[in-house]
Amino acid sequence: MAGSLIKIAETTVSSATASVTLTGIDSTYDVYMVSLSNVVTDTDGATPIFRVTKSGTADITANYDYAVKQLRTDTTFGNNAEVNITEWKSNDIGTNTGEVLNMILYLFNFNSSSEYSFITQEISQISSSGLHRARQGGAVHTVASASDGMQFLISGGNIASGKFTLYGLKK
Amino acid sequence: MAIKTIEQFRTEATSEIESAKPLYAQVNNERREFTDAEYDQAIEDLAQSKLDEQDNGYKRARQEAYPSVGDQLDMLYWDKVNDTTTWKDAIADVKSDNPKPS
Repeated sequence: MAGSLIKIAETTVSSATASVTLTGIDSTYDVYMVSLSNVVTDTDGATPIFRVTKSGTADITANYDYAVKQLRTDTTFGNNAEVNITEWKSNDIGTNTGEVLNMILYLFNFNSSSEYSFITQEISQISSSGLHRARQGGAVHTVASASDGMQFLISGGNIASGKFTLYGLKK
Repeated sequence: MAIKTIEQFRTEATSEIESAKPLYAQVNNERREFTDAEYDQAIEDLAQSKLDEQDNGYKRARQEAYPSVGDQLDMLYWDKVNDTTTWKDAIADVKSDNPKPS
């Protein structure tokens, strides 16, 4: 059925892992989706970062832009945007019980060699300050070449646990 | 605290990554140790993260700590009514608790 999610790759982290890479994006689907469930770090206050991969290798050039709305339970909502940085990022996560990251990314144009790779993101997490945060927005990798996957890291720490899944949206 | 250069952060990051070895990558559920290139990138990521925290960490901390706009307006109202400095004091506390590095 059109619109169904077809699982392409999945990895479950159960011991300290510095990076997780999901690949397998090609011309089969127009739109892909990545799900991160209950991602926990071993380093308090560490920042989750993520990048596109080109032929299986993370692209580290300063061509990542993003603009997001921070939805906060403790105070006024805020806006965040950066351009020409070397990765996309999320809010810090911590090591206390319940401080986890959950995220959905939709990936567009990833298989195109002539267009930029775009994503939309939705995040629901407990941050390192113990407060619930949500985040909605979009991001673009401003390089007109095909991307075949995504890499996820924790800057300065490890992913302690979590499930990472890549789906294709059936045409 | 003295402001550090990216080179100083790279030196720190190199030491930290060396002591954290081995680091592992999980690629489509296959677990393996980092390649040399991935170790180099981990050092660069950590150094850039430290630089960002030095240059911008206080801004993020202040954003976290400022009272909501509604609370600030309430403080300003009561300051006008009572001729007090509650709002100015609250903002000054956030700034002094999260100083700009120099």
